[in-house]
Amino acid sequence: MLVGLLLISGKFQKLSDTSSILGFDTLLNHLTSSAAAEAFRCLRSDLRLLSDKWRRDNRVNMSEPIRVLVTGAAGQIAYSLLFSIAKGDVFGKDQHVILLLLDITPMLPVLEGVVMELQDCALPLLKEIVPTDKEDVAFNDLDVAILVGSMPRREGMERKDLLKANVAIFKSQGAALEKYAKKTVKVLVVGNPANTNCLIAAKSAPSIPKENFSCLTRLDHNRARSQVAMRCGVPATHVKNVIIWGNHSSTQYPDVHHCLVNMSGSELACFEAVKDDAWLNGEFIATVQQRGAAVIKARKLSSAMSAAKAICDHMRDIWMGTAEGEFISMGVYSSGNAYGVPEDLIYSFPVQIKDKSWKIVEGLTINPFSKSKMEATAEELIDERDTAVSFLGV
Amino acid sequence: MAEPIRVVVTGAAGQIAYSLLYSIAKGDVFGKDQPIILILLDIPPMLPVLDGVVMELQDCALPLLREVIPTDKVEVGFKDIDAAILVGSMPRKEGMERKDLLKANVAIFKTQGAALDKYAKKTVKVLVVGNPANTNCLIASKSAPSIPKENFSCLTRLDHNRASSQVAMRCGVSSDKVKNVIIWGNHSSTQYPDVHHAKVNVHGSEMAAYDAVKDESWLRGDFISTVQQRGAAVIKARKLSSAMSAAKAICDHMRDIWFGTKEGEFISMGVNATGNTYGIPEDLIYSFPVEIKNKTWKMVDGLSINDFSRAKMDATAAELVDERDTALAFLSQ
Repeated sequence: MLVGLLLISGKFQKLSDTSSILGFDTLLNHLTSSAAAEAFRCLRSDLRLLSDKWRRDNRVNMSEPIRVLVTGAAGQIAYSLLFSIAKGDVFGKDQHVILLLLDITPMLPVLEGVVMELQDCALPLLKEIVPTDKEDVAFNDLDVAILVGSMPRREGMERKDLLKANVAIFKSQGAALEKYAKKTVKVLVVGNPANTNCLIAAKSAPSIPKENFSCLTRLDHNRARSQVAMRCGVPATHVKNVIIWGNHSSTQYPDVHHCLVNMSGSELACFEAVKDDAWLNGEFIATVQQRGAAVIKARKLSSAMSAAKAICDHMRDIWMGTAEGEFISMGVYSSGNAYGVPEDLIYSFPVQIKDKSWKIVEGLTINPFSKSKMEATAEELIDERDTAVSFLGV
Repeated sequence: MAEPIRVVVTGAAGQIAYSLLYSIAKGDVFGKDQPIILILLDIPPMLPVLDGVVMELQDCALPLLREVIPTDKVEVGFKDIDAAILVGSMPRKEGMERKDLLKANVAIFKTQGAALDKYAKKTVKVLVVGNPANTNCLIASKSAPSIPKENFSCLTRLDHNRASSQVAMRCGVSSDKVKNVIIWGNHSSTQYPDVHHAKVNVHGSEMAAYDAVKDESWLRGDFISTVQQRGAAVIKARKLSSAMSAAKAICDHMRDIWFGTKEGEFISMGVNATGNTYGIPEDLIYSFPVEIKNKTWKMVDGLSINDFSRAKMDATAAELVDERDTALAFLSQ
């Protein structure tokens, strides 16, 4: 019996770290026949724990490829994004991916060029690439949808016209999600106006849980982090728990009241680390709000690289969860929130993510300064929603 | 954490750099623990665009990126650098003769070679991407006499990856199951994609590529022309050149220099032909199969070359000799 147990323990050693075999060696030292039976029972349950852990750690090796759609796939942001997805930066180094690329018919030749390039990248995780202009192909059986494509603002276009055009797009795509995608699909809306487009898509896909829909404010979140980091002279990864509240627009509120900065090993509240309240309540906010415009002014093109990075961060955090003690910003469905933000909006909140489910971080104190900024951006979102919904009914 | 390394990318405001800089700053090339100081060099009119690129790199919030230095001055651009990726070159304009293109690029790479000689670390690894890559690389190397010629290489990894991918698609396997393709010669339409020594892993067993594909006429015909003309095909479709896949190839090339190649695997790089055992004329930058260890490449010797391959290898060498002689004539002016 003892030999048998030792032999089994030898096999254990090969499987995984033996520190998880909970005092197994101690057990062996005190064996009587009934103790041996008890040891065997412990062994069996340890084996089960270890094999579950091994299965969890290795599940992606045994899983099917996931189906990931990117719309606006012939465009600038997608060009920066597709490579990262296909490389494994979002869904993990062992997760095979089938990439579906949707764009409008005139862009199909350009899409062919993108497909050629993805092939030429020789990426092992990319199982298949499907370029298309058809929703029934693009949305079929999806696990993930990244909706980058939207109607861009043209010269002379009124905000109302922009909203109307985009309602049409996202109503159609929401309906396609409803009809063709898996019910577990995670949808990230990037195309602007992101929050309202996301809401329209969610409303047009009633049988998909509203929690599965989110919009991108991670770019603003990363920008805020980076501004604080540069001010403090630390790498951006030493700054955590900034918050972007509200609309992905110029009314967004970058809030660092709960932000922490790691300076020379000790964690400081952001206001203490920066030591410049006027900057944090003034220029810092304006810089983050207007950064998109600043990049366009300099590059003559919008911020594809950093947008793609933010999309990867957002989607990876959904897939893998957030680190303990850290929260990130996502535009999510506001109903049931504890901050007094009006219901039935897609509003950016601080969230934590576990098992692919997000949860708004609750209990953060909100001072009057923050409150008024949070309300201003909520008002803009209500106005956008009401205009958009009126077009929905048309 | 290690001391940061200094990496310069020229043509930094351009398309290829835009796809490339992010991967470098993320740690995909020099490793997840290697902090980087990125120096971005471009011509004065591009400085505002470069500022936009700097903003975006900051907004990416990447932990390894210690510093980003945009500049139009070679004395800043090449100061103390560990790695140089020379993407910028004079593009071909409408009506431009090949001779004019060569002349303009000789001027650029002579200056950059001299700057490397004057300012960079002697251990600097230089990868030339800007076309005509082979000849630009040779000019840069000749203009930096105190930097070992082995430190200079040009990019043929894109063609190499394209060749692997074509074979993989033909065999219905993923591209990491294809290894040891070779690109011989010039990064131009005379390049010779050679799969006589390539291996394909089909359902766990490794086969010679010719056996796996079972279509000699394709491998000697369409396959070669597809790889040779892929660049043009992408431009035709996208209306822009292949930035994404070029950036990927640059990362692969530089990463293999930094970390070495795997046992039994070789990759393609344009390197100085002097001392080669394949009968290629000396004093060229010619793409060969190489293995890399300790940041040093070594040509793979002893591969059998049949008549078919011989003819193609000679043709691309002839083009390179012609380019070199034209370029050297401009150098001495």
